[in-house]
Amino acid sequence: MDLSLILIISGASAIAFYMAWSIGSNDVANSMATAVGAKAITFRQAVLIAGVLNLVGAVFVGGHVTDTVRKGIVDAAAFSDYVGNPLQNPILLGFIASLLAAAIFVTLSTWKEMPISTTHSIIGALMGFGLIAGGTQVVMWDKVVSVIASWVLSPVCGCILAFFIFKIIVKTIFNKERPVQSAKIVGPIIFGFTALIIVCSLFLKTPLSINYGISDFQGLMLAGFAAIIVAILGIIFLRKIQEKGPEDYKTVEGIFRKLQIGTSCYVAFAHGANDVANAIGPVASIVVLAQGLPISSQVTVPYWLLGLGGIGIGVGCMTWGRRVMRTVGSRITSLTNTRGFSVDFGAATTVLVASKMGLPISTSHTVVGAVIGVGLARGLEAVDLSVIKKIIISWLLTVPVAAAASAGIFIVLRAIV
Amino acid sequence: MNKEKDHFRVPVTDLYRRKTPFQQLLEHMEKICECINLLGDGLISYYKGDFKNIKKLAEKVSKIEHEADLIKSNLRNHLPNSLFMPVDKGKFMWALREQDKILDHAENLVNMLDMRHTKIPKELQPNFIAHAKLVMKTVTAMDQAVCNIKDLVETSFVKRERDQTKEMVKNVHKLEWEADQKKYEMTRGIYKLEKKLSPMDVYHLLKIADWVDDIADHAENVADWLRAMIAK
Repeated sequence: MDLSLILIISGASAIAFYMAWSIGSNDVANSMATAVGAKAITFRQAVLIAGVLNLVGAVFVGGHVTDTVRKGIVDAAAFSDYVGNPLQNPILLGFIASLLAAAIFVTLSTWKEMPISTTHSIIGALMGFGLIAGGTQVVMWDKVVSVIASWVLSPVCGCILAFFIFKIIVKTIFNKERPVQSAKIVGPIIFGFTALIIVCSLFLKTPLSINYGISDFQGLMLAGFAAIIVAILGIIFLRKIQEKGPEDYKTVEGIFRKLQIGTSCYVAFAHGANDVANAIGPVASIVVLAQGLPISSQVTVPYWLLGLGGIGIGVGCMTWGRRVMRTVGSRITSLTNTRGFSVDFGAATTVLVASKMGLPISTSHTVVGAVIGVGLARGLEAVDLSVIKKIIISWLLTVPVAAAASAGIFIVLRAIV
Repeated sequence: MNKEKDHFRVPVTDLYRRKTPFQQLLEHMEKICECINLLGDGLISYYKGDFKNIKKLAEKVSKIEHEADLIKSNLRNHLPNSLFMPVDKGKFMWALREQDKILDHAENLVNMLDMRHTKIPKELQPNFIAHAKLVMKTVTAMDQAVCNIKDLVETSFVKRERDQTKEMVKNVHKLEWEADQKKYEMTRGIYKLEKKLSPMDVYHLLKIADWVDDIADHAENVADWLRAMIAK
């Protein structure tokens, strides 16, 4: 490899790492806020869980979304007839510009405390350079429309899921004559179900299952097996708990506090799976392009890149994320564990399903949707809906601003190279 | 103050409140209980002809009323349209308003008692004391009903808890009715003695009877708004 190639790749990787770091330091706080706020885990534990499981999620499930970010938004085929120095390929420059623009935009909005989404900014940035480099026909509008639709749909899905999960908890536990006894039965079932979804997402049509030759059926069997084991462990774990009367809601919350340790792992995992793409998607293309290969060819995202993104997010949580998490932990007081569990479960499931479908969505917005869902189920004493307005403004703002920034950087880069 | 520390995008935390409206309502309720406990003992010793402590009591009640007012205005000023609550916000505000009226009445009452030391005739004393006790009981029953909000919210308004609250509200109604009956008995007693007492004494005794009974009425109103809040 020649020197400039290494320089380009390592430079792009550095920007990606910065992006991953900012995702880790800010987005993670949103996804783990519920567990920390409900006092299910301490902020230290949250930082650790987030760091480790984001990495796992990123490496094993992150590929799907990365593919969308990599080649779904801008039609690389439009640039395939480009000949000459691969380092001057406009699409390569464009990806660098997009990454840089998105990362700067994220930092700026962090400073301004805007509830923007890293996902939205990278998609916006990609569109911006695409429009400048190749005009309207290179942007794959159908894909863009589906991605944007998923931004609206994902909070709604999170909201609906969390609503029903909370309703189920109320119907099967609180409404029963002996809530604690019912919780001891329902708890392990819910836990098994969580395990089922996580294992399914690990082994159904992922690089992992292809590498080890695991068929869908075997994956399902494996998931079912894991679910049963987790459920049995749950039964053993909850066996000793005694009820202190028919209105012993504290003990019920205590059981859910234990369950929430599991779901917060689930959230971290889902977050890693979905958000790593924002940082490494563009780099994945840069690596391919810099070697002079066409982007549309079937190249899987290399593990070292997914790992880099995952580590970036992990480092983000452990450095700045620590501070954010500590603030979050001291802020939320009105959240109990049954609510926290419903929010976590609803949001993480939505995020994970979306990642499996290759849709880059915003984790924080989905969590917000899930909280509102629990509120609608009359589960929260008060939900401040003014954040919805802020989110809608950020929706309308993020894409154009990120697009403009990316276009600007692209023009500058093209002039230099 | 910690503006710098909060320089992060955590929209999720913006959804929650540091102190929920229900918490603040219960805090306000605690102030009422504190005040009613003082008032109950104070009234009975006043009825028995002990006027020594009434000045101090008036000061204490005014202080509690002021503290409760701060809680009330803080709650009322921070209930924006964007806040979504599991109960009707209007009904919630009405319950708070009625709670507040209990304290207002208590304050007016003790200050009036302090302004004129009226001796309660011997034959009326038992009824006056029994009435005061019934009114205090009504408020305590109402407090119990309001405190059940915690369980209601925790279980997201399941039938069992709603039924419990309904029973408690009924209990408040029953006690308030008893207090009313006692008050009629008292007033009848006052009119019977009107020849013996000075007109100013009669006026003042009637006023005491009315004002003490008002406290029970407002306690009943709180319970009614609570009942309306949990109505499906």
